[in-house]
Amino acid sequence: MLNEFLARLRFFISGKSYGEVDEEVRFHLDQQTEANIGAGMSREEARRQAAIAFGGVERAREQCREERPGYWLETFVQDARYAVRGVRRNPAFSLTVVLTLMLGIGSTTAVFSVVDPILFRSLPYGDSSRLVSVGLVAPIEPQEFMLGGSYYEWQDNQKPFTALTSEIGTQPCDLTESNPARLDCARVEGNFLPTLGVSPVIGRNFTANEDRPNGPRVALISYGLWLSRFHLDPGVVGKLIRIDGHTTEIIGVLPKDFEMPRLQAADVLLPQALYVAAERRADPGHPMWAFARLKPGVSIEQAKAELEPLFEYSLRLAPAPFRKEVHLQVRSLRDRQVHDVRLAAWVLLGLVMAVLLIACANVTSLLLARGASREKELAVRSALGASRMRLARQALTESFTLSVAGGVAGCLFAGLLLRLFIAMAPDGMPFLSKARIDPRILAFALATSLLCAVFIGLLPGMRKAGAEALTGRTRTTMRHAVLRRGLVIAQIAVSMVLLAGGALLAHSFWNLEKQSLGMNAENIVTAAISLGQTSYPTAESQMAFFQRLERNLRYGPGITQFVISDSLPPGGYHRDTIYAALRVDGRPALASGTGGPVAYRWVTPEYFRALQIPMVQGEGFMDEELTSNDHFVVLSKSLADRIFPEQNALGQRLHLAGGAPAANDPTYTVVGVAADVKNGGLAGGEEPEYYRLRRQRAEDWDRSSVLILKTTLPPDATESWIRSQAALLDPTVPVDIKTLSEGVGKMADRPRFETLLVGFFAFTGLVLAVIGLYGVISFFVVQRTQEIGIRMAVGASRADILRLVLGNALRLIVPGVCLGLVLAMALSRVLESLLFNVAPHDPVTFAGVAGLLILVALLATLIPASSAIRVNPTVALRCD
Amino acid sequence: MPQPTDLLQGTLDLLILRTLVPEPMHGWGIAQRIQQASQEVFQIGQGSLYPALHRLEYKGWIQADWKASENNRKAKYYALTRTGKKQLEAEIESWDRLAGAVALVLEQA
Repeated sequence: MLNEFLARLRFFISGKSYGEVDEEVRFHLDQQTEANIGAGMSREEARRQAAIAFGGVERAREQCREERPGYWLETFVQDARYAVRGVRRNPAFSLTVVLTLMLGIGSTTAVFSVVDPILFRSLPYGDSSRLVSVGLVAPIEPQEFMLGGSYYEWQDNQKPFTALTSEIGTQPCDLTESNPARLDCARVEGNFLPTLGVSPVIGRNFTANEDRPNGPRVALISYGLWLSRFHLDPGVVGKLIRIDGHTTEIIGVLPKDFEMPRLQAADVLLPQALYVAAERRADPGHPMWAFARLKPGVSIEQAKAELEPLFEYSLRLAPAPFRKEVHLQVRSLRDRQVHDVRLAAWVLLGLVMAVLLIACANVTSLLLARGASREKELAVRSALGASRMRLARQALTESFTLSVAGGVAGCLFAGLLLRLFIAMAPDGMPFLSKARIDPRILAFALATSLLCAVFIGLLPGMRKAGAEALTGRTRTTMRHAVLRRGLVIAQIAVSMVLLAGGALLAHSFWNLEKQSLGMNAENIVTAAISLGQTSYPTAESQMAFFQRLERNLRYGPGITQFVISDSLPPGGYHRDTIYAALRVDGRPALASGTGGPVAYRWVTPEYFRALQIPMVQGEGFMDEELTSNDHFVVLSKSLADRIFPEQNALGQRLHLAGGAPAANDPTYTVVGVAADVKNGGLAGGEEPEYYRLRRQRAEDWDRSSVLILKTTLPPDATESWIRSQAALLDPTVPVDIKTLSEGVGKMADRPRFETLLVGFFAFTGLVLAVIGLYGVISFFVVQRTQEIGIRMAVGASRADILRLVLGNALRLIVPGVCLGLVLAMALSRVLESLLFNVAPHDPVTFAGVAGLLILVALLATLIPASSAIRVNPTVALRCD
Repeated sequence: MPQPTDLLQGTLDLLILRTLVPEPMHGWGIAQRIQQASQEVFQIGQGSLYPALHRLEYKGWIQADWKASENNRKAKYYALTRTGKKQLEAEIESWDRLAGAVALVLEQA
């Protein structure tokens, strides 16, 4: 067996020499001649008959060679050489093809590298496909969470998981050392890392003992922190650091690619060390987030069904209004992470695939056009004995060569494009920072190139020129013409879809930018301050800090209004309660349900004047109320209308913490009704809202506040002044300063980025499609120069010729646009959730896009059309 | 007289392999033997014999050696290999099945 294999290998490498075959054939002929002589022929005749019986010696020799196992490689090398020669012979053509492919493959690769971590790449945990996020969803919190009162019950009694673990969120913490730093500390259960299938790169995980209240203080640090603060020193394990004033031992370092399952930033992992017994009794307890590993063979649906009894238990713990609105949620960890970007990722991938399609159609069209001019050459080849198979293979080799060149250029282009995306992208797009060009992406680019090669090579390769092409006077290009026209119609249709998508998103973005926020963000500087837990342990000390800062800042240069709030409109964090918690004396509580979420903020009296929020009724908060023992509230218009329909809300009294013991549920007096302000983000729904007065009493304060300063000075000057004043009080307190307009602008960053990307691809697609159209029409004009000449000679006017060319173009454009409209109508529904105040079938957008496309396409045909009407009949008729 | 191209695809391979069972032979000998054995029904177009021989050799079913011929000239002798024998058995079996099936159809239809 081995011998045979070696023999085959030898044949593969060297084949047999021609001489050997010749020798064999000569022997055969001699034998036959001898036999013929034996049969009574003359020597001459015997030799002749032997040769006749044998047939073509040369052909036999060729056929023997073709049987060689390495023959395909030989022809491949031949074809490749031919392809390279073709490239060199016509560099402009080849460059066009390679550039077009580069654009298509490069864009696709760049986008794929961005969406890969979102859609396909496995998460950085062991066997991540079995990890799920488990919890409850409620109207206030649509992302699943758990409550302490339920969690431990679930952990003890669940069946579908091998392990259930939890984290209780990330909080700012201070590294109180010689070089202090504000970090993000995540608190997790002891079995957190083992459940996720993560082990520390050095050191160890928490022990059960460390996850107990008052257990030893230990921490795992992130790779980033290890690098920036400890310079990857392996001796960091066992080191003592001070976190929020407590001496803590570092017991390990997390892997480089570790991320929290909810993707929060975390520099330090601490054991959550909860009193389990107290948590069990607490109902519902404080929020936590639970993750689990499915047992092998258990599906998510099965797990959900098996958790149903435990969910029933949790429902009994939930406050009455919530019971009907709380649901059980079990979904894969990936779904939890990408819920809001998945659609955008698919849309982007779809768009860029459409661009690739247009690019490939363009190249195919180019190759077909050149194929038409090479008709004669192909006819000669086929007459000389090239089989259809061989010609197709040759065409494919050529398209492979071009595609691979395009693919290589595309990879470089993708690298550039990705860098551009990242530079353009706003902060807070966690997935974009994970995008990089690595072997996986390169493999994708290669696969795409090969696909392109088949796509662009197959159609041109299918043809075999007929013998009539040899006559030199051919009209055989009609068939390719039909093919090319089909391609152009498809291109126009696809670019119509691209443009429609881009225009819808642009329109939506325009609406987003132009909407009224209900306030004026001009000349407002905001400073967010969060005090450290150790330096400011009590509400009194926290209030004292902010009051001192207020005294220093209020009468500063250019400051016209000064407000202390706890959050900022129009989006981002704000406090929430439920409508059912608001209760008016003498009225029954809401019959059932929560009534939906209600936003609220703590503010000081000048809030409404600083942000120019009009008071619809009443005066709002007064300065003298700051020192009052009574409680005051301002309602938003929508909330006032809901609680007090057809009534004057002013002076009404209500409770804000319905259901709480009377001592904690004081009576608030309504002192104003303010106009509605956006509070659910730019595109989000608006919640009814109320404002509580932050009085000069410790109970109204906590460690975080946002200062709002209306200023007549440039923001930069105000910023440095705020910083210096804050530093005078406490240099270790971090202050996050920005203008409110910046904050608002940032909220539009993501839609802006998405719109830009989509616009870029729509534009690329349009350009490619228009180039394709231009190519076909020019080719049409060149092919018909003679015909046009004849028409002119027999009396056609220039207008007639123009009509001929434009009519031809319109016959491509109109079906393309119509087909595109139908496709776009069918596909635009997908965009619905990404659109703001635009219907996915918005007629204005569609009509505009169709008009634009027709206009641009007609412009593209003007150049060949103008050369057509300048055809000189005498010259055109004389040539050829 | 049927031409070699009229032979069913692969039949020539079968005939060559069968011819080589008794002893190694050179190309001309194989052609002669097939012609004789088929009582001159098959005229092997020698032009297609040699590509077939080479193909079988590349597949490792037969093995070629230069040896002195009966009239003392150097000639290339082909011999069956072990895989070639196995292949022959398989091919004969499938041929029998085919021929039997064709015969059945011819009798009944």
